Amino acid sequence: MAGTPLAQIQVGDAMTPLERRVTQEQINAYAEASGDHNPIHVDEEFARAVGLPGTIAHGLLDMGILAEAVARWAGGYDRIASLTCRFSKPLLPGDTLTCTGQVSAIDEAAGIVHLDLEAVSDRGDRVLTNGRATVRLPQ
Amino acid sequence: MPDVSHIGKRYEAPGQVIEAPQAAALAQAIAGDSPVFAEGAVPPSFAAVYCLFPTLGQLFMDEEVGINLAGLVHGEQSFEWPAPVYGGDVVDSSCEIASVEEKRGLTFVGIDCEAIRQSDKATVCRGRALMIIRGA
Repeated sequence: MAGTPLAQIQVGDAMTPLERRVTQEQINAYAEASGDHNPIHVDEEFARAVGLPGTIAHGLLDMGILAEAVARWAGGYDRIASLTCRFSKPLLPGDTLTCTGQVSAIDEAAGIVHLDLEAVSDRGDRVLTNGRATVRLPQ
Repeated sequence: MPDVSHIGKRYEAPGQVIEAPQAAALAQAIAGDSPVFAEGAVPPSFAAVYCLFPTLGQLFMDEEVGINLAGLVHGEQSFEWPAPVYGGDVVDSSCEIASVEEKRGLTFVGIDCEAIRQSDKATVCRGRALMIIRGA
């Protein structure tokens, strides 16, 4: 993927949003691939016993989807120099996460674009907040 | 429970191998049926696997620090990737308790982590996790 050249980017530009429905199957696959087998993510009964509405997605899975949104816009995983977010609300299986962002600053000399990011669920929860990323873009 | 006396405590996880099939499985779990990147590309959030879990796992099991795992919430996460990693890379990962603060009956623990590739000593990941712990 080529991504958007730096010269065509302006402060305030919106990142192409990414929508991703997260299923329990996908959460199970993430648990398997990451090795994070915390039962709050995969065991409905356990999750309810500790006061959750049911199983929840791993925060790092949500963050991974946010990273993918940035990578798609920037043109590759290796363009992402940094990523930060706050895990504000859990994402539940069946929810659709929508990742959005906009350019907050451009450092042309360094070839770096700064983005402000957020991810909300279709039930209206602000799942990831205070999101920020820096990406390296070709001149 | 963690307190300020634990600041500076380190946990080492040398020799973490970036397994390409595992990175691909993680990318698939994130991207579902619409993977977009070249085969072999390591998703940035795979840092959780080679940098966070092997080091934080030791901290969570450290009885001297005594984190209440039942009350543990991952509050915030930052990662920097100064250089990309590739399947087959071997990295030395470590983490260090950077801050411990009590606010509103909660304990906030900041943990710095990093991963250094063995072959060229490049820092491939730096991170800061904020863990929030309820109860004693």
